[in-house]
Amino acid sequence: MSVSRREFLAGRAVPRSGGFIAARGMEAYLAEAAQGADGRPMIPPGVTEIRLSSNENPLGPGQAVLGAILGRFPEAGRYPVNSTPNDGALTAAIARQFKVKPENIVLGAGSQEILKSAVRAFTTPERGLVTAAPSFENCPATARRLGHPVAEIKVDSAFRLDVEPMIAASKGAGLVFFNNPNNPTATVHGAKTVADFVARVRQSSPGTVILIDEAYHDYVTDPSYESAIPLALATPNVFVTRTFSKAYGMAGMRVGYAVGRPDTMTPLEALSMPFNVSVFGIAAAIAALGDSRHIREERDRNTGVRAFTVQALNELGCKSAESQGNFLFADVGGPAREFRDACARQGVMVGRDFPPFEKTHVRISIGTMDEMKAAVAVFRKVLRPGSTSSGGPLEEDIWR
Amino acid sequence: MALTRRGFVQTAGMGAAGALTGSFIGARGREHALWSMVEPTLLAVEPNVILLASNENPLGPGATVMNAVEAAFGEGGRAPGRYSARSRDLIDAIAKKQRVKPENVVLGCGSTQILRSATHLFTTKDKPLVGTIPTYEECAGYAKLLGHPVRPVGLDANFRIDLDRLADASRGAGLVFYCNPNNPTATYVGARATREFLSKVNRESPDTTVLLDEAYFDYVTDPDHDTHIPIAVEHPRVIVARTFSKAFGMAGLRLGYAIGHRDTIRKMVDWDGGTGTGSLNVLAMHAGIAAIEQDASFTASERARNTTVRDFTMKWFGDRGMKPAESQANFMFVNIGRPVKDFRDACRAKGVLVARDFPPFEKSHCRISFGTMDEMKKAVAVFGQVLGKRATAAA
Repeated sequence: MSVSRREFLAGRAVPRSGGFIAARGMEAYLAEAAQGADGRPMIPPGVTEIRLSSNENPLGPGQAVLGAILGRFPEAGRYPVNSTPNDGALTAAIARQFKVKPENIVLGAGSQEILKSAVRAFTTPERGLVTAAPSFENCPATARRLGHPVAEIKVDSAFRLDVEPMIAASKGAGLVFFNNPNNPTATVHGAKTVADFVARVRQSSPGTVILIDEAYHDYVTDPSYESAIPLALATPNVFVTRTFSKAYGMAGMRVGYAVGRPDTMTPLEALSMPFNVSVFGIAAAIAALGDSRHIREERDRNTGVRAFTVQALNELGCKSAESQGNFLFADVGGPAREFRDACARQGVMVGRDFPPFEKTHVRISIGTMDEMKAAVAVFRKVLRPGSTSSGGPLEEDIWR
Repeated sequence: MALTRRGFVQTAGMGAAGALTGSFIGARGREHALWSMVEPTLLAVEPNVILLASNENPLGPGATVMNAVEAAFGEGGRAPGRYSARSRDLIDAIAKKQRVKPENVVLGCGSTQILRSATHLFTTKDKPLVGTIPTYEECAGYAKLLGHPVRPVGLDANFRIDLDRLADASRGAGLVFYCNPNNPTATYVGARATREFLSKVNRESPDTTVLLDEAYFDYVTDPDHDTHIPIAVEHPRVIVARTFSKAFGMAGLRLGYAIGHRDTIRKMVDWDGGTGTGSLNVLAMHAGIAAIEQDASFTASERARNTTVRDFTMKWFGDRGMKPAESQANFMFVNIGRPVKDFRDACRAKGVLVARDFPPFEKSHCRISFGTMDEMKKAVAVFGQVLGKRATAAA
């Protein structure tokens, strides 16, 4: 594994005529409609890219997963129901992981398919969606496409989901999207707060479905945090989504799943696309579930790099919300767009705008330590032009 | 890369010739999630099974595509960890091959996603889905899920789409699903008749959208054969769906696309969130580019291979008094004169998987996909045993 992603990109993707559009995150497809993919900042020719814009695992999947994918080559022509292992085997493997039954699990082409299905299944023109602002945009975008109402509750002063107004807004809602840790702020709520939130929403609005998205579960180090999966299995109208796109390093493979009680899963299963996970995705995910050491190592790696990055940004005067993910939400003291464009010119791609904080905060994914050292040098040049001896004068001085 | 599925499995030491275990339940087709709820859960496909249940290309995608998949990892193996930006390159490659603009193309996780988007966008509680019965069930199943009405139209005596009846039923419809060749009957309507049908529907019911599913396009040998992509690009009410799951041998990768008028494609992109980047895996995108950029010899050779196997299999049944509907695809619909379930179970016990029930013909007609010639020779021996005396060739 000596050749970096950079060389992969240099060799394969860059020569596109229109230029390589890099900073497309998990939600790129949402942004496409809104601003056009070509509206994304472009890395200048010859500049090496460091992609800190999509909350991916920079190392990709482990060897066990890669080996599993290669082993499935002969079955590329078979529908996932006919492959060995098949889609049912993946469902069974996930079920075993949580000591539940296959009917507690729904597979998705990434967790986004499940998020879309949830909005389609549980919201109506009368019973809308409750989410946070900012939070992952998939659910509200889907609801708006359907013309279903959306209540966006601004995060609290510590950039955490603001549970009290979310509980109030949930009364009569169809679906609540509770992202824990929350993308893009990276903050987390402890198990007690989540359980209390669920109990109170259930009490005031028993018909409301609560979706707890734990995409970044494997990166959390806060001891007060626990997965809500046991809660979901014990509680009607509550389910948890997980993804292989983050710590498992399989964003490109498109595998996610939901866990909940069978009656909560039924509407999601009905809406899920037949054969939504490829034969490669199935084999990869099964192999990944069997390699828990890889996840521990990835969490430890991320924790170290995260601490380095938080401190480096602090030293540049940029305070971050308390991060429990593989990304930071940092106050850069100016519009995210300008920071993003300035960084892109030097090869560093950071996250898109996240209203209502697009004038001050930027989401920065955590890459490898080497990548972050290089990125921090770029951030320093952008934020403090003239502060380094090596860097020439920069056009931006709005960052001082 | 002569990696057939069986060859690989045997090389890996997992396979051994012999009968199947009783746990094996196999004949679940493409739409199992919606349509085969009655079937017990499939635990694993065993290595020596002859799969004739899902209309796949038994040889898979070929070396060019598999090399592209392998290259897609990057030497560091990190590419699968990244969200991919290759969807636009894939769209460009498809557009170039089909001589349309990128704005005329939308990708899907298999054509399933395309069929669902179209059903969602173009049917309502008042504007039904119209389709033949039987046909590929995805659109009808999804319309029912949405609570939108479905208007089924019977086939003609030759198991072909009855164009006059379908056109009549299409008046006032939201969406007409026109699968040609038709799954499961494998029958084909010539290009000229299809053009006339489109024109008639457009004249008599201008707000009705017609979705032409050309999944089996590459297997057609009828000389009156042409794609309707040029019509779709011009007319907002005509969409053509294609898949990489059939002749291209990529069913496991999940990749399909639709071509249509830019306004129609825009609606589909907007409805399901983008050009497919959310649901398509990165390996499939690389594979799709390599597949579509191959010269025509790949599909020509797969078509020729299938035609030979098709002739052999159809003749075998014909010689025994069981006449299949005229097949222009990689499967056939044959009258076996008995309930398909009995036949399927008996074949399954002998290691051959044939397809699920297709009402209203589940008491008489079975869909059988064409495997390799070797597989079909073994399969007909099993069919002969199962069908008993009736399977003896006419003297």
